[in-house]
Amino acid sequence: MEPLTVSGTTLESLGAIAQYVMAAAVAAGLSKKSSYKLRLAVDEIATNIINYGYNEAGLEGVINLHAEVDPKALTISLEDTAIPYDPTKRELPEAEDFSDIPLADRPVGGWGVYLAFEGVDEFLYERVDNRNRNIFVIHRNLNESN
Amino acid sequence: MAFNVTLEIANSTAKITLSGELDASSAPAFKTEVEKAAAEHVKRLVLLMQDLEYMASAGLRVLIFAKQKMGADADIYVIGAQEMVLETLEKTGFSQSVIVQEEYDTALENA
Repeated sequence: MEPLTVSGTTLESLGAIAQYVMAAAVAAGLSKKSSYKLRLAVDEIATNIINYGYNEAGLEGVINLHAEVDPKALTISLEDTAIPYDPTKRELPEAEDFSDIPLADRPVGGWGVYLAFEGVDEFLYERVDNRNRNIFVIHRNLNESN
Repeated sequence: MAFNVTLEIANSTAKITLSGELDASSAPAFKTEVEKAAAEHVKRLVLLMQDLEYMASAGLRVLIFAKQKMGADADIYVIGAQEMVLETLEKTGFSQSVIVQEEYDTALENA
């Protein structure tokens, strides 16, 4: 698919990102459920890039999206020039750890990245030429079972 | 689909109807209505989610915020959540901290 570039400094970009991901999901013939989870995964990571990578750090920039469909997989990559951030290094909350903890006392952060990893078959992070690259892979052949 | 949120308060119960897509850009509108409800010291927060098609973790944060603002005694109901929204609540364990129901029983308000 044609790449898409959106502003990295406004959450308004999330709508265009979602449309791009859903169009890629249709092109790859993903199920409704897989499409939803992929959209959620990309949405969560993009939200973090905008909120923390660019805005909180006081940086300007864009997010480049690229979707590629091949017979085996749909791969979506997001690239940004925000602060270096590797989501795979983040300590994640575990749902089981909090089942006995009152809602008001739960950690507010980390759930987005948790849902992002849960939503795709593979999640990869690469640091390339001062850019963050977050890669989401959905296997097409395994899709029937999802 | 655009996000829409409406609040209705009666019988110590705040009902918030959510529809469309709840992501980080639309979550502040939801949070604003929760703040209004908390200011009225309601006993129950009923979230009508039948028409909510998408919810990101920003929605979970508002649930935590709601509980913090309303206090431990206030119950939060999640009514009619669609399959994938429910899956997010279950996967993160949030479904154990709220009352998940298919339909809302108004008889509760008179109890």
